[in-house]
Amino acid sequence: MSSTNVVGVLRPGWPWGIAPTVVIAGLLFTSGLSGAQKPVKPGSSTSGAKMVTPAPARPSKPAAPKKSGIDRMAVLAQFRDEMPSHKWGVSHSVDFQPHELDRMLLTQLASRAKDVAPLVSDERFIRRVYLDTTGKLPEPKAIVDFVAEKDPKKREHLIETLINSKDFARHWARYWRDVILYNNEVNPKKISPQALEDWLAEEFDKNVGWDIITANLVAADGKKMENGPDTFSIAAENKPERLAAETARIFMGVNIQCAECHNHPFDKWKREQFHELAAFFASGKYYMPNLQHPDQKTEMQPRFLLGEKPKRKLDNDEKRVAVAAYLIYNPQNYWFARAFVNRIWHELFGDAFYAVDSLGPDGEVQYKLLVNRLAAVLRYKDFKPKWLFRTLLNSEAYQREIRNPKSETDRFASVRPTRLSGLEVAEAIDRTVGSTKVEEQIRRTFAFDPSLPQQDIDGSIQQALLLMNEPNVQRQIHEGPLTKRLVGLMSDQNVVEQMYLAILARRPTSQELSRLLEYLKTTKPRNEAIEDLVWMLVNSAEFVIKR
Amino acid sequence: MQSDNPIHRRQFLHLGGTALAAARFIGGIETHADELKKRHRACILIWLGGGASQMETWDPKPGTPNGGQTKALSTATSGIQIADLWPKTAALMNNIALIRSITSKEGEHGRATYQMHTGRRPTGALKFPNIGSVVANELGSRDSELPNFISVGDTVGPGFLGVHTAPFIVRRPGMLPDNVAAGVAVPRLSRRLAILKDQDDDFAAAGARELAVEHQGLYGQATRLVQSERLKAFDLTKEPENLRTAYGKGGFGQGLLLARRLVEAGVPFIEVRRGGWDNHEKIFEQSPKNAAEVDPAMAELISDLKTRGMLESTLVICMGEFGRTPKVNPRAGRDHWPNSFSVLLAGGGIRGGRAIGKTSPDGTTISDRPVSVSDLFQTFCKSLEMNPTTELMTPQGRPIKIVDDGAPIKELFG
Repeated sequence: MSSTNVVGVLRPGWPWGIAPTVVIAGLLFTSGLSGAQKPVKPGSSTSGAKMVTPAPARPSKPAAPKKSGIDRMAVLAQFRDEMPSHKWGVSHSVDFQPHELDRMLLTQLASRAKDVAPLVSDERFIRRVYLDTTGKLPEPKAIVDFVAEKDPKKREHLIETLINSKDFARHWARYWRDVILYNNEVNPKKISPQALEDWLAEEFDKNVGWDIITANLVAADGKKMENGPDTFSIAAENKPERLAAETARIFMGVNIQCAECHNHPFDKWKREQFHELAAFFASGKYYMPNLQHPDQKTEMQPRFLLGEKPKRKLDNDEKRVAVAAYLIYNPQNYWFARAFVNRIWHELFGDAFYAVDSLGPDGEVQYKLLVNRLAAVLRYKDFKPKWLFRTLLNSEAYQREIRNPKSETDRFASVRPTRLSGLEVAEAIDRTVGSTKVEEQIRRTFAFDPSLPQQDIDGSIQQALLLMNEPNVQRQIHEGPLTKRLVGLMSDQNVVEQMYLAILARRPTSQELSRLLEYLKTTKPRNEAIEDLVWMLVNSAEFVIKR
Repeated sequence: MQSDNPIHRRQFLHLGGTALAAARFIGGIETHADELKKRHRACILIWLGGGASQMETWDPKPGTPNGGQTKALSTATSGIQIADLWPKTAALMNNIALIRSITSKEGEHGRATYQMHTGRRPTGALKFPNIGSVVANELGSRDSELPNFISVGDTVGPGFLGVHTAPFIVRRPGMLPDNVAAGVAVPRLSRRLAILKDQDDDFAAAGARELAVEHQGLYGQATRLVQSERLKAFDLTKEPENLRTAYGKGGFGQGLLLARRLVEAGVPFIEVRRGGWDNHEKIFEQSPKNAAEVDPAMAELISDLKTRGMLESTLVICMGEFGRTPKVNPRAGRDHWPNSFSVLLAGGGIRGGRAIGKTSPDGTTISDRPVSVSDLFQTFCKSLEMNPTTELMTPQGRPIKIVDDGAPIKELFG
């Protein structure tokens, strides 16, 4: 399998120009090495079906394939060490700092966008970064304190605090839960989204590498619904074809589902390759159906997309570990790390480098140098999620003001305003006007598939109707804790300022202040006027949008 | 589900007075009578999700190895036979046209569903609109009280046409949509909306124009909806009990009854979904169960429309995303088969009692008059009196024809 795209990255004259080519080459091709050098975490548990960081391989001692309870971790390490690794020129100091990201992006932007958006104010920054890391709005006091803080490194410090919070782990666990489960149609009694979410939250909290998280999901046999990682297989009903398609979609960002039936004219993946991938997930032999003659079929041997195949016969459990290892640890499979980078970037910036789960030909990738660089360094950083978040959130690119990009060439010169998820809207209502007891309805009404491009997600009349009229939401707007508190304030100016801080997480502009003061002056009784304004802000576009 | 909330019934009964006042407030309901007369055509799409088998619907092959256990049934039109699972449809064949030679290339559910709703194969960047959104755009009024495209069940979105043509999704036909009872009286609502508009205008100016403008559009639609007297179209208890029973008391039958009421209320496009047709196994057990629900409901819809004099102006389409393999697989099922499949049409100026196209005796090839997806969409346009060469604008200002190529099936008209 050729690696033209990786080679493309290595061509001379690349813009960041700090590392000699040989180091970068090492960087791109040494995942096996960096993985193999990982120490086993002291005290980490290997019980249950979960894997932790694979121990260094013991080549002298082949894994014993047993019928029950194979040591997935050891088998994973074994397959990983069969991967080609190029061990030259690696320096542990190789890194990719936020300012390097910005320099690289600006170099590429220069020829595409005339100007870049200015950086956001502290007040705007804190709402954005809270939503992106925790899915929640900052409390009014946190906003006021942050704005008043004099430390020039306060944004960096806030980012660090947030990505190390439990809320961060929970928020991103829910994101990936939805990525895996959003379109699943499994009987709700047979699948536990909560088990998956809880397990992912634990892993993100511990900053476990994306390689290990992925390996656990892909290699699980899907037999126990209370075991978080098993949810991935259960959602695919343990069907080899579904597992193959979902593995490629979620962990490589490519759509190969069409290849189940035919060769796609524009794609590199052939029908045989799809079924060879599916063969890893079959218990026992796997056959590719003949669509013209349904009574004929072809037995397929497990073979991964870049041609990797097991050197010996594997049992069912081993096959799943093998496919995980080929997916993750073949350094030529640049799709793997890049798909993770692309998804996180899409969530943070509102646009992705390419459609997050349906990349066709590689020519569709925008800013390919940048995303490939991030992906390569992520591999070098042992796939640690928090490294990626730290790098992206601290960049100027992330901290720019919103704009509607007018064309593709404007992309990343600003940040795209995007919709809050159903969960975030429910949370925001809860935290501002008070608990409504209809969180589930809010979540459902504002839900969208997290794998769709943000710009393709539409609002709906039902969303408007809910915030306008839903009786429980109206009750809280009418007499909830926020409204009560506001009505108790003497000064109208104070009412307006507190209202904006609580609902939109910022102070009003002077124009807004005078407009609302006028409303309060001319609308009687005062408490009804205040209710109107709380209703107005909860129903405003800004309330349900990340900006 | 929250909105099984008993309050709804009461709110609904309560609505009459408010809605009338509201209608006056936004400019009177009298004008809408004219609007109704002005509108010529409407469309009800019956979607057989999963891909119904042509052999078990409109193109049976009894007595052949591929035909399986499904028998053929003579219809009211001499010379046309359909699968024996559809007796009520067969009785109405003089009002129905069948196309047995649709051919496409998309054999995956998502891609094929997209193609059969938009007339286009899925391509990279540009999202084409659902035909329902196109009809909403072309035949609907931009400031209508009810949404111009209503779907019972999720469907393909409006693509580049934007949310004013998006399907309004109904999940429980027979119930009012959630949250349509206004929380406050009209004067107070309008003063709230006025200051909300200022707020959203500011947000649009601050870099979120696309989203803010869309938001304002949705609030406009939501406001007209809550104030509309036509909301009563959603209330199926206004229909005689025997008619409700004839449509079938399940969600699908009631959905079709709702569709008819919505056409009467001026909605130009309604989609009603019935899944369960993806029968990779045991198709000869599954098809009769599926048909037993769809056959009476669809037949009742067609005769109900005819009785009311609405069939001539209402196109009824019944189709799915593709057909199924002519050869029965070892699990007694049929797999995906876009090469040759069938679509049923009635009303909207379509001549009934016709069957267009033929497949070979074993069902694997088209032996007469292949019909492309574009030809089919051209036919929809002709029936709905829309010019297929009308150019729709993408937000980037790129003109896109409603249908690019193909030609309407002439034999179905005149």
